[in-house]
This record gives sequence, C-alpha cells and structure tokens, in this order.
Amino acid sequence: MTDAFGGYGGIAQYNRDFLSAAAGGCFPGPITVLARMANDEVGPLPTGVEQKSPTMNKFAYAARATVLALRQRPKVIYNAHLYHGPLSMRLARLTGAKLVSQLHGTEIWDDVPAGCLAALEASDLVLTVSRDTCARTLAKARIAPEKVAVINNTVGARFTPGDRDAARRKFAVAGEIVILTVARLDGREGYKGHDRVIPLIPKLRGMGVDAVYMIAGEGPDRDRLEALAQSRGVEHHVRFLGKIPVDDLPDLYRAADLFALPSVGEGFGISFVEAMACGTPAIGLGIGGSPDALVDGTLGTCVAPEHFADALIDLIINHPGRPSDLATRTRHHFDYPIFASQIRTQLQKVW
Amino acid sequence: MCGINGIFAFNPSANLPDRKELLATRDHMRARGPDAVGEWWDAAGRIGLGHRRLSIIDLSERATQPMASACGRYQVTFNGEIYNYPELRTRLEAQGRVFRTTSDTEVLLHLFDLKREAMVHDLRGMFAFAIWDDVAKSLFLARDSYGIKPLYTASDGWTFRFASQVKALLAGGKVSTDPESAGIVGFHVWGSVPEPFTLYREIRALPAGHTQVIDEAGPRAPQPFALVSDMLGMASPRPLAIDEMRDCLRTALGESVKAHLLADVEVGLFLSAGVDSGALLGLMRDAGQQKIRTITLSFSEYQGTSDNETPLASLVARQYGAEHQVRTVDEAEFQRDLPAILAAMDQPTIDGINSWFVSKAASEAGLKVALSGLGGDELLGGYPSFRDIPRWVGMFKVPAAVPGLAWLARSVMRHSALGRNNPKARGMVKYGGSYAGAYLLRRGLFLPFELDTILDPELVRDGLERLQLLPTVDSTMPPGARSSTARVAALESANYMRNQLLRDTDWTSMAHSIEVRTPLVDVALLQSVGPMIPQLTGALGKQLLAQAPSVPLPDAVVNRPKTGFNVPVGSWLDRKPDFDTALRGHVSRHRALDLMRTFATGAPALAG
Repeated sequence: MTDAFGGYGGIAQYNRDFLSAAAGGCFPGPITVLARMANDEVGPLPTGVEQKSPTMNKFAYAARATVLALRQRPKVIYNAHLYHGPLSMRLARLTGAKLVSQLHGTEIWDDVPAGCLAALEASDLVLTVSRDTCARTLAKARIAPEKVAVINNTVGARFTPGDRDAARRKFAVAGEIVILTVARLDGREGYKGHDRVIPLIPKLRGMGVDAVYMIAGEGPDRDRLEALAQSRGVEHHVRFLGKIPVDDLPDLYRAADLFALPSVGEGFGISFVEAMACGTPAIGLGIGGSPDALVDGTLGTCVAPEHFADALIDLIINHPGRPSDLATRTRHHFDYPIFASQIRTQLQKVW
Repeated sequence: MCGINGIFAFNPSANLPDRKELLATRDHMRARGPDAVGEWWDAAGRIGLGHRRLSIIDLSERATQPMASACGRYQVTFNGEIYNYPELRTRLEAQGRVFRTTSDTEVLLHLFDLKREAMVHDLRGMFAFAIWDDVAKSLFLARDSYGIKPLYTASDGWTFRFASQVKALLAGGKVSTDPESAGIVGFHVWGSVPEPFTLYREIRALPAGHTQVIDEAGPRAPQPFALVSDMLGMASPRPLAIDEMRDCLRTALGESVKAHLLADVEVGLFLSAGVDSGALLGLMRDAGQQKIRTITLSFSEYQGTSDNETPLASLVARQYGAEHQVRTVDEAEFQRDLPAILAAMDQPTIDGINSWFVSKAASEAGLKVALSGLGGDELLGGYPSFRDIPRWVGMFKVPAAVPGLAWLARSVMRHSALGRNNPKARGMVKYGGSYAGAYLLRRGLFLPFELDTILDPELVRDGLERLQLLPTVDSTMPPGARSSTARVAALESANYMRNQLLRDTDWTSMAHSIEVRTPLVDVALLQSVGPMIPQLTGALGKQLLAQAPSVPLPDAVVNRPKTGFNVPVGSWLDRKPDFDTALRGHVSRHRALDLMRTFATGAPALAG
C-alpha cells in the first residue's frame, strides 16, 4: 500500500481503518504492512499488525514485497491501491494467496492501465468506497458483480458536535452565517465546485444575510478563485484559510453553519460525513460518490447541479439551524463499528 | 403463475427501502397476477417482499402471498408451479409437518426449513421464488433448471432488488439504466438478450438452475444446482431397443402431462398441426382429463398453403374429442396490438408474436391455464440444426484450422452474390468448424463481423469482450458428451429455448394473465429421456412421441413437413418501403433494429 500508519490524507486514514478492522477479529493470522511512505510518526499499531519500514523506490518496493511474500506465504494479499495491482496480482499467483483489491474512488474514473484492470479482474474481492465506484468498476472490469462490494468510508471518533461556541471563537466567527468548503483547490476548473458557491455570497448578502464563505485547503486553483471573489465584490467575505491542521478540522466544521461541496468528482466525499458528524448540515451534488455520503439526500442535501444555487439559498433562508440529531444519524450510517463489521463480513467471504 | 419482487437494504449504510418503490415494481406486474396482491416487511423495515397472484392452486385467501411459515421465521414470495407438491406434502406430513393451506407455496416453506438450499433438488416444476429467513437475516433465491420462470436481480452495493420482470425493476425508479454492452450486442447477435445479461448493467437474470443467497455481505455468487447440460450428458451405458425407448418415453411423457394438469382451474391446450401439441392432447386424454379445450391460430395469409395449421389441428382435436377453437388473426389486428406488444415486451426479442395471439385467444376463451408443446423440438431432435450443425462441423473443421483461410473466404465472398445476399455464408469457414460456432451460424441474427455496420464499434468491442460469445455457448454443452444429438439438444435447450422461446412465452402469456405450462420442458422427463437422446437421430424422436398416446397421432400429422409455429409477420412488416428484400433474414434483422430503437426511446441511457 501507499501509506497507512504514519501516513497523511484520506487513503492513509482508510488503510488504517481497514487494518484496524481486519486485525480486530477476523484475520486468523498476523498482518504485515508494506508501505511506500510513512512521513509522520507511526504510533501504536493494532494488535496483530506489523508495519515494515517504508520503501519509496518502486523497484526496491517490488523486490521487498516479493521476498516478503515468498517468505511469509500469506493467505490474503491486500492490494490497497489500483496502481499496486499488477505487483499484487503476481504475488498472489506466486503464493496462491487470495487477492483483495481496494478502490478509493476517482482512480477508476479515467482510463485504467491494462495491467491494473487485469489485477481487478483477477481479484477474489474488490472493495469500493461508494456505489458509484462499484458501478464504474463493473462497467470497466469483466468481473462477477458479487465480487465487488461497497464499504463506505467511516468517520473518525473525533468528529463530534463538541463546543460550537468555542469553535466559532477559534475561527473568529461572530454572528455571520458561515458556509464552509474543505477540499483541495484542484487545478481542474470547477472540479470541487468552489466557483458554484462564490457567486451565491453576494446574492445572499443582497437578501440581508451576513454570509461568509470559508475555504479550507490549498492548491493551484486558489488564484482563480480569489479573482472570482474579487470580481463579485465579496473578497472580504470569502476567506481562504489555507491548509488546516488535521486536529483543527472538527472545530472548523463545528464553526460552520453549512458545509457545501458541490464537487463533480468525489469518489465518496468523507468531508460531508465529517461535517455532519460534527452536527453541521451539508449540501452536495448527486454526482459520483457524494450521494452515498449524503445518503441519497436523507442525511444531507443532494441535488442536481442546476438546482444547487436554489437549494443552498433555501437552506440558509428557510432552514437555518442545526438538526439536533444530525450527528447521531450520521453515526448510524458511518460509525466505525459498522465499517469494521462490514470489513470482517467481506473478508470472511474470501476464505 | 404470478409476479414477485423484493427490496433488501443489506448494507448497514443504506437507507431503509421505500414502500412506494416496492409497490411500484409489484404493480407494474399487474397482468402477471390480477387476482390478489400482497406485501410483507420485516420488523426493522430492511426488507420488503411483494407478490401479485394469479390463482391456480388453492384459490382461497389463505394461500395469499407473501406467505409466512407457521413459526414466523420464513416468508416466501413465489412464482410458478410445483407439480410434485402432493407427493412432497404427503412426505412432509409423514414427518409431522402440519399444513394450513392446500397450496404448493406452503410446501416450499416446510422444505426450506428442513433442507435449506438443498430443497431445490426435490422440486419438479417451473419456479422462481425468494425465501427470507428472519433469524439468519438472509434471502434465498432459486430459479428452475430450464429457466421457465424469470427472475431478475439488481444490486448497487447498498440495496438488492429482484423482480419477475426487467421493466418492473425499472418502474421502481431506483435501478440504474446504464446500458450493458453485452446485452445490447447479445441481442443483435441472437435476436434475444442472452442471460445473465439484460440491456442494463445493473440488472441481471439469476441464471436458470441456480440459487443465490443475499445476506449482510450482499449477494453471494449464484450457485448451480441442476443444469440441463449436465442432464443431457448422461448417455445410456448400452444401446436401447426401439421398444424399450418407446415404453420409456410413453411412461415419462404420461407422467409429465399428468403432473402438468394439476390445477384447481380448467387446463386447456395450444394446438398446432405439429406432433408435439397433438401428442400432448392424446396424453391429456390418457391422463383422464374429460373436458379439453384447444386453441389454434389461423391466418388468412396462410389459407390454402402448407403453413395453414387449421385443418390438421382440427383433425387431431376431433380424434381426441377436444372442444376445438380456431382464432383468426389478421394484419389489422396485429397492427392494432403492436403498441401493446411492445409495451409488454420485457426485453427486446424478434419473436413472440404467435405466443401473444394464442395467449390472447386463450384469455378470450376464459382459460387461465394452457399446456404448450414447446420444448419437443429441443428434446426430440425436431430442428434442422440437429442435422446441419454436425454436418457443418465435419465439413469446416479442417478449413477453420488453416490460418488466414477464414479471413480469405470472407473477403472473397463479400464480393460474390452468395456472400452479399447471405451474410452467414461469409462466416462459414470462420465459425462452421466448432459446435458453438456452427450454432451461431444456425441461430445468429447478425454475425460479430457485421455488428460494426449497425452499432458503435467501441460498444461492439466492449460488448463482445464482456459477452464471451463462443466460450459461453460452448459452456452450455454437456462436458465430454460425444453424441452430436445430445450436444445440439443442449445448445438448443440452454440458448434458443431459454433466452427466446421460454422468455417470450412468459411475457406474452403473462400479459394476458394466462399460465402456460410446458410438459415437454420438464426435469423429470429429461432425466428419463436424456440417456436415450444419443439414439434419437433423424425423425425417430418425433415418431416415438407421436406413438406415445394410447391412440397414436394420425399419419398426416407425423408426416407433415416441418414449418415451424409460424406467423406471417414477415409479410406484414415487409410492406415497409425501406426493406431490402433481397437480403436473407432481412425481416428479423430489420425487426431487431426497429425494436432496439423502441427500447432506446424508452430508456434514455440506451438512446445515447
């Protein structure tokens, strides 16, 4: 896998969750993790999990994985990233291990190299993070539908409603209505949808709402978005927060009145779930993996792109406030025990 | 015969199923079951089952479905008939089981409780059913070996859905309409969509002779329990004498017909001029049925030609003392019914018109159940394919193995009159050398190399890749069978009959709320007849069938040249000005393209 313990970002988090769940009850033997990266401190590992020192160089990584596989003769090889597929498939064939492949979302959207596709097709089980990823996998790969399962990402325990007033003070928010997006400012224009939200700020303010738009995240699209805010005359009401430390994310979600991510390219959209687990309502588009995170519009608001502007304004004007049971309902769908039991159930299918 | 459906939110992240969706899917199948409706939900609301009933056995309200077991643990929703249910019931009662109804449905509940998935081996009949186990929290689906009854499933990774019809699943509004290239290409190759594919990627048929379990891990891989190809592979260890075969066939046929007459309503018969339905009439009489009404279609276009089935059918009806009804269909009626035919057609098919009108006639006559001679040609070597396919394989085996020769032959023939007028001639060398390939030549509508001219080349490539055309056909033959007759019987039974004839019979009869029963498509019959099939070459099979009733069929019927169960649709459609009448098979081909356009108009994803 790319990274797990000591790694940064969504995929590393998913891998940690997966390994903790797998180690916590269903794997009959030890789990050895061979990661490409571990930039941060690895920290305590779940019982039964051993993580080898990282190997960045891909040739060295392949050689080490081969030696390890031949020595350990694993029962299952977990191919944690599409691009590790060809190596994983060869090792599975070499050792007679079952092959479990993981898809995180958008890596399956574009053309998939033939070797990676072959590895998916040779897998005994493919885990996908959303129904959309599952459908795209079945469209691209010649694999029995029963071998492709959906296990949505789980939300971390620290995302809770918490102390909202303290959170708002922390982010210097007083009486404003805060709309928040947490996402990389991706260079592909319009991909994450910040530019769908910015034009709504002057509109809301014109309606007498003291609206501000907080944008957390960094990336090459920032200049364009700043220019857009300026051209709409709301440069003082669109705040670019830059990259937020992971530990500050829960407070940022708590401080917001509405989390908006009108992205057209979410494999799942974990930030919707994190926001709602903190008690903040969320809105997104019915495209890609977002409908899973928003649970088809029953947990968050999920609309077609052409209805996004009206839906967001309607939420701010007509449905202010935070539903008191939102965090609980979010956990009902995406809490860790649900995720862990699904991982175990799926892995049990393989042996 | 009924319509069944269900929704199961197996993934804990999923929302609970919507009741409106369950009812929309169920009630789309109104014609399948006009007599009663039912629905059932588990306490948590994670699974709902639906049922529309056409009452045939135990007409009382006690037999309404979904039906619960007495202990409340199991719920069943069932489409079909279990013909051996009286024996099963007696056996179960001897084991202390107490029954509350006289329906065959209740037998399923007791059997499942006793034997779990292995219960399917005890069943004789046509069936598609789902049983929910409220303790194990798992759903069990099963479909009969021949695939007489349909069962379609759809899973998006959160929620599993099933129904008797593709269009019913779509009517629920939650199933993706993303197109399945293998289904689209498969339809153009065969004239019907080959299972397990449908036109939509998310919707699949549970393959015939398979069971499937769906639990908290989602749908498990379908498991085969009794495949027609395996049963056809069991040759007799020693050659049988003609008399032995005649006796065996007579007994097995008599038992099958008797079993298929089990009903609490009148059972009629679709009668043509052929041996199959005629023999069934004689066997119905032998089974002791007093009042028998028979329905025969007549077409004015066929008056005075050998295609006119009426005179011989009337002769047979008279011989066995049946109340014979001739129903005349003309072009005007066909054109009037066409919109309804297209609306009822569950998946595109180039056939089914005859079934439509004969079912319509049966419905008008007040019948609810009718026997059909479908399956006789597959079982007893009635098609020209039994002669042609082995001949072609013998002829083209060597040329097909010569590198480049197939391509050369196709290129040369493209410029010849034969190749232009008969595209299949161009594929003879390429495909004629194997049973699967020769079968494609026999039954195919468009050959793979022609598809680029009618469909998007990328869709064709993707579809053929997913379809695995020849390996799939190959897998329907009995493994290791040396008999060419058994091979062709398996090819015809598991491809043309399953994907075309039986499916067409289902949607056309259900559209008229008629249950069609097929005594010649019966697992117990196949088990008796299967070992002698290698010996049933030439016309022998049909001759023995004609002699099966205690009063044999008249010679005029036995010696009548085979014409098929025809409808003059060709001439009705032929009048369209854009038809290239010089091209062989042009009517079917044009009909296929027209149909695909109709289906594409109905589903936006297919239009693109």
